[in-house]
Amino acid sequence: MITYDHVTKIFGEGQDTVTALEDVTFTIEKGEIVIFLGPSGCGKTTTLRLTNRLESITRGTIEVNGKNIMDMDTVQLRRQMGYVIQDIGLFPNKTIADNVAVVPKLLGWPKNKIQDRIDELLTMVRLDPEIYRNRYPAELSGGQQQRVGVARGLAADPEILLMDEPFGAIDPINREEIQDEFLKVQEKLKKTIAFVSHDIHEAIKMGDKIALFENGRLVQYERPEILLTQPKNKYVSDFVGADRALKVLGIIKVGEVFNPEPQNVVQGFEPAQTVLNIMDQKKEKFYVVVDQDKPVGYVTKKMIKYEKGPVSAVAEKFPVHLRKRTPTRDALSYMLMHDFQTLCVVDEKNSFQGTVTYDDIQLKIRESYAGEEDQ
Amino acid sequence: MDTLNFIIKNYTNVLFLTWEHIFMVSISLIIATAIGVPLGIVITKNENLAKKVINGANIIMTVPSIALFGLMMPVLALIGHGLGKVPAIIALILYSQLPIIRNTYVAIKNVSPSMRNAGRGMGMNRWQLLKEVEIPIAIPVIVAGLRTAAVMNIGIAAIAAYVGAGGLGVYIQNGIDRVYPEMILAGALLVSIFAILVDAGMALLERALTPTGILIQKRLSE
Ligand SMILES: Nc1ncnc2c1ncn2[C@@H]1O[C@H](COP(=O)(O)OP(=O)(O)O)[C@@H](O)[C@H]1O
Ligand SMILES: [Mg+2]
Repeated sequence: MITYDHVTKIFGEGQDTVTALEDVTFTIEKGEIVIFLGPSGCGKTTTLRLTNRLESITRGTIEVNGKNIMDMDTVQLRRQMGYVIQDIGLFPNKTIADNVAVVPKLLGWPKNKIQDRIDELLTMVRLDPEIYRNRYPAELSGGQQQRVGVARGLAADPEILLMDEPFGAIDPINREEIQDEFLKVQEKLKKTIAFVSHDIHEAIKMGDKIALFENGRLVQYERPEILLTQPKNKYVSDFVGADRALKVLGIIKVGEVFNPEPQNVVQGFEPAQTVLNIMDQKKEKFYVVVDQDKPVGYVTKKMIKYEKGPVSAVAEKFPVHLRKRTPTRDALSYMLMHDFQTLCVVDEKNSFQGTVTYDDIQLKIRESYAGEEDQ
Repeated sequence: MDTLNFIIKNYTNVLFLTWEHIFMVSISLIIATAIGVPLGIVITKNENLAKKVINGANIIMTVPSIALFGLMMPVLALIGHGLGKVPAIIALILYSQLPIIRNTYVAIKNVSPSMRNAGRGMGMNRWQLLKEVEIPIAIPVIVAGLRTAAVMNIGIAAIAAYVGAGGLGVYIQNGIDRVYPEMILAGALLVSIFAILVDAGMALLERALTPTGILIQKRLSE
């Protein structure tokens, strides 16, 4: 846990002072990723550098796990926090392996433990250890170097990570992959992470919470979906962009909106004519057909009108199935693309979990915006 | 040809004078390095001090060597070393300071701030940062300073023959006094060859001491 309490940072003295940070108060909970977001020069890097005492605080206090950082030994403080700097800063005289090994060596880890750790981390950032271990930074592209920088920050398995635009130099395709990989790892490791970004998309994707800065002030500190749906002022809504409704759809997962017990489901062995009767009674036009727990398709009244056998004989396959972690944005786009109002949700064994309809999604969006309409 | 004959005929003496020359230059280079490199590093932390130290070294450099010997003589005479190897070695140490301090200072200053940020941010202390990062990155430029100092000192050591320091300068000095061209040429030739060899040797050392990663970086950025 990191607590910022009325933190102010003023650079310089006398006439030409710059107030980089002004009276900033917020808390990063243990195990959460908090994104420091805002345009260039708004104080993100400064906040990070105050946290590991690379800069001194002008006013206010920062506590790490309840302890004032000014009462801690700087070197000890820094070694318990991984640090990934904005301009990468790999040591050109050291091999990739030795770059990653810096903090473990400082901490006096045994050699074989360090070797194993290097390979594990390089694999995690998608650099084959066999190929890259003994290379030098100059032989790597900017994006690859940045991945080594991330590996280096994680090396000693610190409880806290300070990351300054850690994926900025990586090309978009690899960036998505590294972000996904990083989130997967984070799900397991549950580190406390302060993560600087100027990219709203990255912030929404990576952040448990977003701290949005403007000129050294913390404007809004919220979960991404709240920032998007209930922006505090015009600065926030401008920053998150006109397409914020779409971005919300990117955050909200199918798992949050789906219906686990839909009424319009039948077993595949039911006779088609029985189903037709039920559909007439319930005035339903669309039925999902499930066979032994697996969704086999759907039927409409037209399809089963003349069928004598079981309903599974005429069921049409769904073009696609959703998972609970699918963003509702993707679900919606499948619905539009294939002209469906209902899709099935399955688990990893392809077992039927429920359905999502266009209305389910719309309802959820309306709920999210409810707060804004109150204002 | 006559010069060559002179060298062959006097080879024991040639060897002795060469040894004296090597001795003066290496002893002074070792001491100068021990003073200049740490000083060059220390002043990177203090701009004001840096200016003063480098200016000081610059002033020493502008004093002609003969004048420097003359200035030192009465002082060193107090401890009975007005003439001989002591004033020579002191002079060589003083002259070496500018290239050594300046190169060290510039090399360390030029290490990119992001290296320093990364190192400090990961919990390296001042000494670890210096040893693991700053010096390895700065080493080619530091050694280049030593190289300049060494080559320069070989020349100045030849002049030190005038204060009785010995070395190959003795041939030049005596040759002039006795109007003995072969002797003058022998001295000049040997000093020059020595300087060329040391220059080449220091170039090899510079390369050998440069970390592989830095060599690769240089090659790729060309
Ligand atoms: N060492 C420094 N000396 C003076 N001003 C600084 C220093 N570091 C940062 N600043 C100023 O503080 C402000 C915030 O900078 P920074 O935290 O680096 O912004 P960001 O990371 O959000 O782009 C900027 O106006 C910047 O110019
Ligand atoms: Mg920054």
